[in-house]
Amino acid sequence: MEQTLQPQAGAMNADGGSGAARRNRALFANFFRRELTARYLGSITGLAWALLHPLALLGVYHFVFTTVFKAGRFGGASFLVFVAVALWPWLAAQEGLQRATVSIASYGGLIRKVAFPHELVVYASVAATLVLQFAGYVAVLIVLGVAGESIRFEGLLLALPLWLVMATAVTGIALLLAALQVFVRDVEHILMPLLMILMYLTPILYPLTLVPEGMRPWVAANPFGWLVARMRDALIDGRLALQWGDAVAMLVAVATFGAGRWVFRRLSPHFEDFV
Amino acid sequence: MKHPASTPPGVESQRRALLRLDRIGKDYAKIESRGGRLRLVWDLLRGRGAASVFRAVDGVSFELRRGQSLGIIGENGAGKSTLLKIIAGVIQPTRGSVEVNGRVGALLELGSGFHPDYTGLANIDLAAALLGITPSEIATRRDEIIAFADLGEHMNDPIKTYSSGMVVRLGFAVATALDPDILITDEVLAVGDESFQKKCVKWMESYLERGGTLLLCSHSMYHVQKLCAHALWLKDGKVVSYGEAVAVTQEYLAYHEEKTAAPKRPLAPAVAQSAGIYAIERFTLAPEGEMPMGGDLRLSGEMHSPDGREPVVLIGIVRADGTPVYGVATDMDAAPPRRVAPNRYAFDLVLPRLPLLPGKYSIRAHALDPEGVRLFHTVEHSLVITGVTREMGFVRLPHRWEDK
Repeated sequence: MEQTLQPQAGAMNADGGSGAARRNRALFANFFRRELTARYLGSITGLAWALLHPLALLGVYHFVFTTVFKAGRFGGASFLVFVAVALWPWLAAQEGLQRATVSIASYGGLIRKVAFPHELVVYASVAATLVLQFAGYVAVLIVLGVAGESIRFEGLLLALPLWLVMATAVTGIALLLAALQVFVRDVEHILMPLLMILMYLTPILYPLTLVPEGMRPWVAANPFGWLVARMRDALIDGRLALQWGDAVAMLVAVATFGAGRWVFRRLSPHFEDFV
Repeated sequence: MKHPASTPPGVESQRRALLRLDRIGKDYAKIESRGGRLRLVWDLLRGRGAASVFRAVDGVSFELRRGQSLGIIGENGAGKSTLLKIIAGVIQPTRGSVEVNGRVGALLELGSGFHPDYTGLANIDLAAALLGITPSEIATRRDEIIAFADLGEHMNDPIKTYSSGMVVRLGFAVATALDPDILITDEVLAVGDESFQKKCVKWMESYLERGGTLLLCSHSMYHVQKLCAHALWLKDGKVVSYGEAVAVTQEYLAYHEEKTAAPKRPLAPAVAQSAGIYAIERFTLAPEGEMPMGGDLRLSGEMHSPDGREPVVLIGIVRADGTPVYGVATDMDAAPPRRVAPNRYAFDLVLPRLPLLPGKYSIRAHALDPEGVRLFHTVEHSLVITGVTREMGFVRLPHRWEDK
């Protein structure tokens, strides 16, 4: 084992030699497993909680919108399916960001005493959340399908890559937030209300077509709105054809990831002093 | 007072330094205002250093070869821990470069890098993953570590429920089982309870005998002299002195003598509480209290050994102001104390024609463990040397004026 540390150079980079790569894989696997088990191990309901929370939310939305507001059908699906298909990815992204933001602090003891690429912590945190949430997503779709709702299951073929595009972008934002949180503790507190506002500004609980004409381009500019629309294309309408927009979205996601990682790597050598 | 000579390593590894530091510097950002953190983030993103910094380490260079242990000494806040963290790779230096050619095992503070929520077992796997060892490879070593740490059922509890002693035990067990080329330790030589301390000291000795290299950060000059060939004295992040351990530690002690203006240095409290430690039970001087310069001084005494093994006696002579004059131990001269009863050892030392100049001195006898590492008990007598002379210093050196 040989290592040379240069000031400002990437001794902490996730992609060093093959020895470093092997080590980083082992470390990621360790963190990932730990994130999965620790998350639900302490709670009585265990993994079921991962499903219960969104199901309960869905139930409440069903009550409010279908029963109280008497919302009709949107785009050939019941309101419940219409919301479920979009709400899940949003909740996954939201939870992924919130957990990742504070992830560095929870590994503080390690960061202060051992040399390892700090970004692995964020990767493990985001991956654990998204994997669990994707499993929940599929399970809920099955529940809805069994309940007689019309779900186009072949749409999962597109939903999975879409989910990966989302994961790429979410990881990038998570890297940014996690790095900032180390220095400025307010990030965590601003994030919660901000995500709440963003959720209502995204066409999750309503279709874009109901938005007044003049405001529509603003709402449509939301990248998450694109994801929601594509999810509905796939799972409600069964339209699997790729669009040019998908390539653009992928580029945006990769660029987001790159930017987030750049910021993270700029700041991470100084974590030790602040975490 | 050096550790046993290392077994000769390969020619190749002899030529190449195990560790090389070249003008290392580390700055820490100083946050002065509420918006300071935001400003710092902005500066870092632009690729500039922080506007206002504290230089924790500045311009430190040294080389470490296999088997040549180094002790790092200095006051609190001198930058010792920062330097160790740089070597361990935990932080990157702001200036200079570090070259490491070997596996570094670090025991920084308590429990080197354990996750408090993980169980003891999970932390072993984590430590292995941090070193790039896969779970299957760690399987055999895991048993070694568990046996060494000897924590029984607690291995399945989260680390946060451990006492600090238990954490250190596990940390030591992990760091040692991975057989590092360089072991960095931060004053944790004697940790845990009595029996575990013994294990630590034993392991450390065999590690050094095998040619292992120790990077020890300690406030105990005795340990630095005993375990390290070289020493480095840091003050305010800069190297004051670097060289042979004995010379550097003495320079450091002399600096402290000067600094503490008070004439009397408080002696470390004697720790003879129970039958459980190596202790001086009798210590007498002949003549007692006062003697003429150049007379013979006889010291004799008896020691208690709780486990029946032969302890090491260290006799030290210091001036009334605490300046050390001379010290010698039984293990240096290979003159072990005589066994007079299963748990009792006696020693007799003659200092013929004692060349101490007139003045007031303290003669101390220290009881150490058989490894000669840990100091357990001290008994002190004062001795006045009488006589009239205008010579200066502490000792009359043999001399001769020649007439040519």
